[in-house]
Amino acid sequence: MIGEISHFLSLSAVVLLSLVLIFNFFFFFSKAYPNQVTLSLRLFNQACWLVFISFGMYVYLAISDDFSIAYIASHSNSQLPVFYKITSIWSAHEGSMFLWILFLAVWSFLFINSLEKDHPLKKLTLMMLCSIILGFLLFLLLTSNPFERILPFGALEGADINPVLQDPALAIHPPMLYLGYVGFVIAFSFITAYLFNGNFELQWERDIKNWSFVAWIFLTIGITLGSWWAYYELGWGGYWFWDPVENVALMPWLAATAFMHSMFASSKSNVLKTWTMFLGILIFALSLFGAFIVRSGIIDSVHSFANDPERGLYLLSFSGLITLLAMGILAYRLPSLHSSKLVVTGSKESFISMNNILMITSIFSIFLGITYPLIIESITGEKVSIGPPYYNTIFSPLILIASIFIMISVDALWQRSMPLRILSIVTVLPTILSLFFVYIIWYTTNIFSILAYIGIFSGLIILFSYSLRTINNIFNKRFINKGSAIAHIGLGLLFFAVSMNSILSYEKNLNLAPGQSVTVNESVTEFFFKDIKVLKASNHDVISAEVFLLQDKKSLFLNPQKRKYATRGQITSESAIHASVLKDTYLTIGDQLENGSWTFSLKINYFIKWIWFSAALMVLGMLLTIFKKKMS
Amino acid sequence: MLQVRKNRLWKLFTILILSAGGISLILFSLNSKLDLFYTPSEMLEADIKPGYRIKLGGMVKTGSIKRDGTMINFLVTDFLNEVPVTFDGVPPDLFKENSGVVMLGYFLDGMFAAEEIFAKHDENYMPPELAIDEPKI
Repeated sequence: MIGEISHFLSLSAVVLLSLVLIFNFFFFFSKAYPNQVTLSLRLFNQACWLVFISFGMYVYLAISDDFSIAYIASHSNSQLPVFYKITSIWSAHEGSMFLWILFLAVWSFLFINSLEKDHPLKKLTLMMLCSIILGFLLFLLLTSNPFERILPFGALEGADINPVLQDPALAIHPPMLYLGYVGFVIAFSFITAYLFNGNFELQWERDIKNWSFVAWIFLTIGITLGSWWAYYELGWGGYWFWDPVENVALMPWLAATAFMHSMFASSKSNVLKTWTMFLGILIFALSLFGAFIVRSGIIDSVHSFANDPERGLYLLSFSGLITLLAMGILAYRLPSLHSSKLVVTGSKESFISMNNILMITSIFSIFLGITYPLIIESITGEKVSIGPPYYNTIFSPLILIASIFIMISVDALWQRSMPLRILSIVTVLPTILSLFFVYIIWYTTNIFSILAYIGIFSGLIILFSYSLRTINNIFNKRFINKGSAIAHIGLGLLFFAVSMNSILSYEKNLNLAPGQSVTVNESVTEFFFKDIKVLKASNHDVISAEVFLLQDKKSLFLNPQKRKYATRGQITSESAIHASVLKDTYLTIGDQLENGSWTFSLKINYFIKWIWFSAALMVLGMLLTIFKKKMS
Repeated sequence: MLQVRKNRLWKLFTILILSAGGISLILFSLNSKLDLFYTPSEMLEADIKPGYRIKLGGMVKTGSIKRDGTMINFLVTDFLNEVPVTFDGVPPDLFKENSGVVMLGYFLDGMFAAEEIFAKHDENYMPPELAIDEPKI
C-alpha cells in the first residue's frame, strides 16, 4: 500500500510540475496574473515536497523489507543492517535515478526559495528547474520504475546487495557525487534564465557563487571517496583507472574548477563573462552526458551497469535537448554580450583565461578518449580501448603548462600587469628548488621516467611558490588568501604524490605454504605466512591469513581475508593495509594451489595517503573561501 | 588591407595553427596508445606483431586453469577457437572457470601473455561480443 502511495506521490509531482510549466508558458508574456510567480512557486514547492515524501516512503519500504517491490527484492535482504538497507536503494539503476531526482528537487527547492521575492530571473529559473526535474521524473517513471511490484506474490527474501558495495565509503559515495553533479543545475538554470531574460545589466554571479562552491565540494568528496573505496576494497591496489565512468566524473569537475576561477574574474573585474557562462552551462551538460554514458551502458566499463538502449535514447535526447537549448541561447546572445573591456596581459584575469583554455583542452582530450572507441567502432567495426598511457601522455604537458602559470600567477593582481621584477622573484626560487629536488629524487631512486618527472616538477613548483609566498606574507604581515593558498598547495601535492606513486610503487607475487617464510627484497626482509583459518560469519565464510612482515626492520602483522558470500556465491578480497607516512603495505590473498600453498600479492604503494590528503586540502581551501565570503 | 582586418587574419591564423597542432598531437597519441580488442578467433585470424599490446576477451574454459607457483595457465575460448594464456600474479576475485574475462597483454608464438586481468563489478559479466555467440544451455 505504501508503495502505491509513494508511486502516486511521484506521479502527482509530475502533474504539478507539468501544470507549472503549462501555466507559465501560456501566460509568459501577459501581465494578466500579477501573482503568477507566487502561484507557480507555491505549486513548484508542493511538487518538491511530494518528491521528498515519496522518497521518504521509499526509504521506509526498504527498511521494512517490502520484497513485493521488485527493485528492493533484487537489491536488499532482510539480514542487512538498517544502514545498508537504506543504501541498497542507490546500489543499482532505478534507485540511483530516484536519488538523483531527490537531490535535484532539494537543490532547486532551496535555491529558488532563497532568491529575493521579486528577483527578475525567478520565473525563468523556476521554469528551467521545473523542466529538468520533470524530464528526469518522466525518465524514472517511464523507463526505470523503482515502484514496480512482483505480482501476484512478492519475494520472501531479497537477493542481497552486492557485497563489495557493503561498505561505508561506497554507501555515501553516490550521494556525495550526485549532490555534486546535480548541484550545478542551479548555475545552469540561472545562467540560462539570465540569457533568456536579456537584461545584461543584472549581476548574476553573486546569486550562484556559493551554491556552485558547495556543489564543487560535494563533487570533489564524491570522486575522492570512490577512488579511496576502489583502492582498499577491490584489491587492485590502484586509485584511478581512467575508466570511462571515472572520466565522466572528472570532466564536470574540471569544468567546475574552471568555472569557479572564471567567476572570480567575471565578478571582480567584469571580464570573461561569456566564458564563465559557457562553463556554467558546460558543467551540468557534462553531468548529463555522464548520466547518459553510465546509464546507457554504451561504453564497456568496469562499472557495468544495466545496459538498456531505451534508457540511453531517452537520456541522450533529453540531455541533448537541454544542452542545445542553453548553448543555443548563449550563441544567440553572444553579439550583445560582447564587452569592450580587455584582459590585461599579466593580470590575474589573464592567468585565469589561460586556466580556462587548459581546462577546456583537458576536458576535450578526455571527451575524445571516451568517444574515440565508439567512433572507430562505428566506422571500421574494430573494437579498441583507450587506457592510461593515452591520458598520461596528454596530461603531463598540460599539467606542466598549467603549473607554470599557477606558479607565475601567485602574486598577480586584478586588472594590472605584473611587474617583471616580481615575476622573476616568484618564479626563480621555486624553479631552482624544484629542479634540485627532482635531481635528488632521480639520484636516490635511480629510476627515470620523463612523464613522472614532469609531474613531480609541476607539483613542486606549485608547492614551493605557494608556500614561499605564504611564509613571506606571514613575516611581512601582509594579506594571505588562505583558501586559495591551501587549495593550490593541495593541487601541487596531488601532482607530486601521483607522480611519486607511479615511479616508486611496486608489486610482488608470492607463493607460500603455511609456516613458510621468504625474503622479498632489501626492504621487506622477511615474509612469514604463519597460518590460515576458515571462519564462519553470519552471511559469509571468511578465509583469513596471518602474515608477519619484517619491513625496514619493523615487524608488521597483516591479516588479508577472502570472503565467500552465501546468497550470491560471490567472493571478495579484504586486503590488509599497513599505512605509514610514506607508503602503504598492501597485501591481498589469492588462491590455494593443489599442493596446499597459497598465492599472495604484495604491493608497496608510495604516497598514496597523500593523494587523499591533497583532495582534503582542496576541499578545506574551498570551505575557507566560502566562509570568508560569508563574514565579509 | 585594413590594419584591423590584418590583425584579425593573423589571430585566426594563429588559432588555426595552434588547434591543428594540438589536435594532431592528441590524434597521434591516440593512435599509438590505443589497444585493439579481439576475441580468440579474431586474434588467431589477425596478423598481430609481437610486442603489439592488445586486449583479449573470452570465456575461461572449464577445467583448464592450471597453477604453478604464482603462474596461472588457462585456455580462453569463444566456443569456436581457444587460446592458451599465461599470467603471473593474483587474478581478480571474479576470475573463475566458465566465466567472462578481459585481458591486456601480448600474443607471442600461439600463446597470450596477459599483463593484466580485469575485474568486473558484475559477476555475470560477459564480453558483449560473446553474449550472442554463447550456446544456450
